[in-house]
Amino acid sequence: MDMLLSSPSFAFIQVLNSISLGMNLFIIAAGLSLIFGVLRVINFAHGVFYMFGAYIMYTVSKDLQLGFFTGVIAAAVGLSVIAIIVERGLFQWLYDKEHLLQLLLTFAIVLIMGDMAKIIWGTDQLSVSYPEGLGGASNVGFTFYPTYRLMLCVVGPLIFFGLWFLIERTRWGRLTRAATQDMEMLSALGINVPIIYVTIFVIGSALAGVGGSLAAPINSPTPGMDATIIVECFVIVIIGGLGSLWGTFVGALIYGFVFNFGSVIVPNWQDVFAFLLLMAVLLIRPWGLFGKPEQEGH
Amino acid sequence: MVSIVRSTTAAAFMLAAGVASANAEIKIGVLYPIAGTGAVYGTPAMYGHNMAVDEVNAAGGIMGQKVVSFARDTKLKPAAAAAAAKELITKEGVDVLVGGLSSAVGLAISEVARQEGVVYIATIPKTIQMTTKKLHKHVFRTSSHTDFEGDAIAQIVKKLGKKSVCDIQLDYAYGHDLAAGIEKGLAKHAPNVKKVIDLRSKLGATDYNAQITQILGSGCDVVTSGLWGSHFVNFAQQAKPFGLFDRVTYISGGEIASHEIAGKMGKDYPDNVISNSYELWYDHTFPGHKKFQADLAKRSGKKETAMWPVLAYIGVKFIEAAGNKAGTMDADKFAAALEGMTIKTPVGDRTIDPKTHQANTGQFWGPMVKKSGVDYRVMSPVTWYPATLD
Repeated sequence: MDMLLSSPSFAFIQVLNSISLGMNLFIIAAGLSLIFGVLRVINFAHGVFYMFGAYIMYTVSKDLQLGFFTGVIAAAVGLSVIAIIVERGLFQWLYDKEHLLQLLLTFAIVLIMGDMAKIIWGTDQLSVSYPEGLGGASNVGFTFYPTYRLMLCVVGPLIFFGLWFLIERTRWGRLTRAATQDMEMLSALGINVPIIYVTIFVIGSALAGVGGSLAAPINSPTPGMDATIIVECFVIVIIGGLGSLWGTFVGALIYGFVFNFGSVIVPNWQDVFAFLLLMAVLLIRPWGLFGKPEQEGH
Repeated sequence: MVSIVRSTTAAAFMLAAGVASANAEIKIGVLYPIAGTGAVYGTPAMYGHNMAVDEVNAAGGIMGQKVVSFARDTKLKPAAAAAAAKELITKEGVDVLVGGLSSAVGLAISEVARQEGVVYIATIPKTIQMTTKKLHKHVFRTSSHTDFEGDAIAQIVKKLGKKSVCDIQLDYAYGHDLAAGIEKGLAKHAPNVKKVIDLRSKLGATDYNAQITQILGSGCDVVTSGLWGSHFVNFAQQAKPFGLFDRVTYISGGEIASHEIAGKMGKDYPDNVISNSYELWYDHTFPGHKKFQADLAKRSGKKETAMWPVLAYIGVKFIEAAGNKAGTMDADKFAAALEGMTIKTPVGDRTIDPKTHQANTGQFWGPMVKKSGVDYRVMSPVTWYPATLD
């Protein structure tokens, strides 16, 4: 705590830590929020999708030595394929059933894919190397900061902008927003609603995979990593507002700051602050900072 | 007619069962994290356990009886481990419990052993409490403990002439106990060394930036640590770009010098790391190690074998020796046989202290250096730190 007050460069570094942690988590949580926003499905399997992204990155970049960027692409493609199989093969039968069944289905996927990961990649302690040139530190004024984390601080907003543009400024985005408001009417107008659903699920899941692959150098692939990340994602999207892109972005930043500064100021309680904030949000404004109260007739 | 056949068959089965129980087996209940996150330790441990059981049976078993293992998954959770231990005792009727991995699990199994009056040999849990505060007549520990580990770390801090320490630990029994062990060791060996900062991370944490930047801001010249397994991998990956390993020496317990970690990290393993391992596949300081390692390599299908098997192996070997000496698996007599028992192992002789039920298990410590021709780092030079607190 005294370090924070006495050293401006230390405080500045903690700000950078908070932002980069937040951006890292935003990339991962954005997909969860997107899927809920449109499909009204809380995808618990988002965590294992993230884990698969990290493991795929390991296989492509370290095992097969095909390059880091190739690993990111492979994670996106791999998760897209998994998403198509899961959505067309399993989810589509449950859209008109009660939410609980969808939740249970995603739970089942968590368990199955978790074991699959162990069968495919084993339980060894793996590590993924930083890509060439991004493993060092850059000069950010009066201190040095890891280049890779700075890169995440750039990629995060890029993905945010990409998603925002897609949803707010394209025809397809308009159709997607219409689907969240009145699916039946849209279908009556002759729009192929299932295609929209699949596409959203694929994009959201691919984002989870990309998030996992980008996080892999700093969050090494390990069994059980899905459990940690899904909790963090839920805290973020609930604070920010399920289904709101802005909410996820701000929620991720808030989480980053609360966690990081909490670790410095009261280290034994690092986790508690984020959850206290979560509780406060749920009690005072349950639809989150940027969310909207659940409307009737959806 | 049918009923005569039926009752004869039934009688024959009962007779067979009676005969089978006369040629009773020695039942060992073995508890390791076989699936899930802990499987990276549990699976190799089971290799070592099974190898020892096969060796014991090949030599005639215990008291001439065959040894049979009943394996259960602890899931790294104390509640699950306690339930599994109870089930092994009450349903399977095991004669002895062996295993455990995390300190919390070890304490949980120990409590079940105490309540049920069955001997438990802890082969991996390190918390000092097991052989001090929570010691009872039926628990024994053949792994090292946090006081030995902390003492070795303190000796190395002194040897390197370091002046100021940053300590980073996980926020659970093992981390707290290791921090205490390091403090005790520093007070004894290097009283002039200053502890600048105590850092804590939760078990399972993935982000260490706050701790890393505090270490750098504090100006210490050595970091003492208990971050094991994936905690170390994440910490190292996150600390490297900050140049932490160029600024401080990183002395760590938690066996991150084992090949399990070094082998998979490969080129990602950082500089200036000194750590420990119970066993190194490439070091043959002790007699019998070469053969043990060769057998293990054949069984696991890999030349570079893991460190955990030898710990599980030693647990079974103690069971063999004590069972043969006591001539019975009765818990009290078996426990009495374990007290003061000495056996030869592939990593030196081990003796169980009669008072503390703790084996004198030392560890190898040394810096992890690059080796030409291979990707992974090895410990060099390798120094054996015996388990004494003098």
